[in-house]
Amino acid sequence: MAGILIVEDENDLREMLKVSLSRRKYTVLEASNGKDAIVHFKPAVTDLVITDLIMPEEDGLKVIMRLREIKPSIKIIAISGGGKAGPASYLNLAKALGADAVYSKPFSVNEMIKKIGEMLNVEQG
Amino acid sequence: MNSNDNRSDNKEYFNYLAREKYFSDHIVNSSRSMISIINRSYVYEKVNSTFCEAQKGVEESIVGKSLSDVWGDETFNKRIKPNIDKCFSGATVSYEASFNIPQAGKRFFEVIFRPFPAESGEITHLLAETFDITDFKLTQKFASDKEEEFRRFETNLPIGFLRCSPEGMIIHANRAFLIIMDCGNETDIHKVNLRNLYTDKSLFDLHLKHLMDNKPKTFGRVPLVTCKGNDITCRISGFMTVDEHETPLFLDFSFEDSSRELMLENRLLQAQKLETIGALAGGIAHDFNNILTTISGYSELLQNDLPDSSPHTGNVARILAAVAKARSLINQMLTFSRQVEQEKVTVNVCDVLKETIGFVRSALPSHIKIKSNIRIKKATVFADPTQLFRVFLNLMTNAMQAMEERAGTISVSVALVKGKIVQKELNKDIVADEYALVTVRDTGKGMDTSLLRRIFEPFFTTREVGRGSGLGLSVVHGIVTEMGGEVMVSSKLNEGSVFYVYLPLSKDFEISHMSPEARRRILFITGNRYESRILTLALESAGYDITQSSDPNHLEKMLSGTKNKPNLVLYMIESEQIRTDDLIEQFSLHDIRIPCILITDSNQMQEEEKLVTSGIVKEHLIKPVSLREILSAIKASI
Repeated sequence: MAGILIVEDENDLREMLKVSLSRRKYTVLEASNGKDAIVHFKPAVTDLVITDLIMPEEDGLKVIMRLREIKPSIKIIAISGGGKAGPASYLNLAKALGADAVYSKPFSVNEMIKKIGEMLNVEQG
Repeated sequence: MNSNDNRSDNKEYFNYLAREKYFSDHIVNSSRSMISIINRSYVYEKVNSTFCEAQKGVEESIVGKSLSDVWGDETFNKRIKPNIDKCFSGATVSYEASFNIPQAGKRFFEVIFRPFPAESGEITHLLAETFDITDFKLTQKFASDKEEEFRRFETNLPIGFLRCSPEGMIIHANRAFLIIMDCGNETDIHKVNLRNLYTDKSLFDLHLKHLMDNKPKTFGRVPLVTCKGNDITCRISGFMTVDEHETPLFLDFSFEDSSRELMLENRLLQAQKLETIGALAGGIAHDFNNILTTISGYSELLQNDLPDSSPHTGNVARILAAVAKARSLINQMLTFSRQVEQEKVTVNVCDVLKETIGFVRSALPSHIKIKSNIRIKKATVFADPTQLFRVFLNLMTNAMQAMEERAGTISVSVALVKGKIVQKELNKDIVADEYALVTVRDTGKGMDTSLLRRIFEPFFTTREVGRGSGLGLSVVHGIVTEMGGEVMVSSKLNEGSVFYVYLPLSKDFEISHMSPEARRRILFITGNRYESRILTLALESAGYDITQSSDPNHLEKMLSGTKNKPNLVLYMIESEQIRTDDLIEQFSLHDIRIPCILITDSNQMQEEEKLVTSGIVKEHLIKPVSLREILSAIKASI
């Protein structure tokens, strides 16, 4: 089954995503900040990355750029709940940097899981 | 008497006369006046040394000359002769004149002609005395110039100047004072006691006491009441003048209007405060969004696991509905802190205003009237029309709430104002040459100063807890400021409030270069007439051709014709009102491949789910949804 890396500094949220995705039989990998995500990235077993944008250490935008470099075929979903400049402008930036889908918190997990299914199917197809 | 005696007598008499002549000559010649004796032929018969010195000549060279020789024909005939003739007829004549004196230039003189009768009593000669008063004249002119200069300075000074009696009765006030204190003309002010212009009369008495030691004093900002009864703050300085017995003569005061300064200080403080709260709100919003995602995520998990028949399904749906509400609240907070991305288009303020008024009118209680005065046709601004709608809606709602307990009128107007005037009015850098000024006036209960100071703060509300979030006006502030505009308010207790919204006008360019035929057509089906009118305006501004309808059957009508088929259907409706089966039937009946976007207020309803799974709905957006999201969904779908 496809592997999904969740990069999110908020533990509860990360745990929730992990539970939801594990039930759909995805292999879930976790990182609690951008730096860990980049350093411990396993391209062979990771098909998709869900990353928060505002995080300690390296931020989500850096994660998107670096992981794209390491594995160009990787699918990326950016999520954000705002910050100094608001969620939308960060998400737009993420999109411009190559995120395939973006979600503004709070989002519907069902919707996201549906999207993930589509994204990974397309790749397999 | 012998001849010897006679001779000696004569000699003595001669000596006596000589001495007398010597004395009188000495007196005459040492006088600083020019003295001369003139005969009836206007010829000098005698002149003193001062005269000679002034004329740079000796007695012999002047005596025997006529006055016209010395002073010139013109001067003599015009100015001297008439006076001399008057004198020859018996009068003493005196006048001031200026003459050009050789090597001394223009000098001023006081001239006196006195009749000098012969022993017979006949006036054969006259005595002319001419004083040089040039120095006196110059001093006098200097003094009057200085006085004039000071008067001009005092008149034009932006600082009010005032002199009053030790009791406070105003003796003199300059123009600036009259303007600052709104006091009409100077004669009116003479009936005024300065004490009455003090808000706190005892403060005036205190100031007088302070001035008793004859030293100048500055009193800082003093609250005053103008002649018209308005509050004002002035920086006052003063000092007292006393006579030699230390009795107070009068008091001098200067008045600097510091109301504006105070207002600017307050506004800066206010802006900083709002900025801080904004940053705080942004931070809180971020954390809350994380928490809400966790809540909604687990709820969805729960929902997925529950069989449809479970009694808990409804409860979970309620949790999710609460999350949606919280999300909407956070969105408003972010709007205040200007952290919401907007889809800006060029839009006519007048159109949005008219739509908002229509919307408000439909919800107006019977005791409140709304008066709209939109005389101008166009005021194009660059803004998110839905946000602009929110600004006007919130202001009108606020006006309605101010008149809850009494009947009243909301007056809405819009005008164009030149940027320079806005700059002056707001004391703020301008971002456009022209502004639209939207005014929303109510006749409600009004606000006092302490309330006014805080109304734009988020969560500040005068309503009881639980009624209104207190975000309305802070959202107005956030949106308007983000647009580069400014919102101001003035209010009087029990009379009402006026909100002024200044919006920078944008260059008016073509909304779409495409001809109407080439433009993409969108059929917009919606139940909510007013809210959707704003969205229609926005979509039209973005270059789409919109047909709006509240009738779901409209689709059928549009599709039955061959022309003008829509390129997209935008379906915005309350979840409960969706008639899914009808819609699916319509779409399948006509074998429609037109993309459809559904906008509802929740995503938990089975009907919506059905529409999405049936493939009819390409995108499902959940409120609150931004124009940006709608536009990008449309772009992706067409």
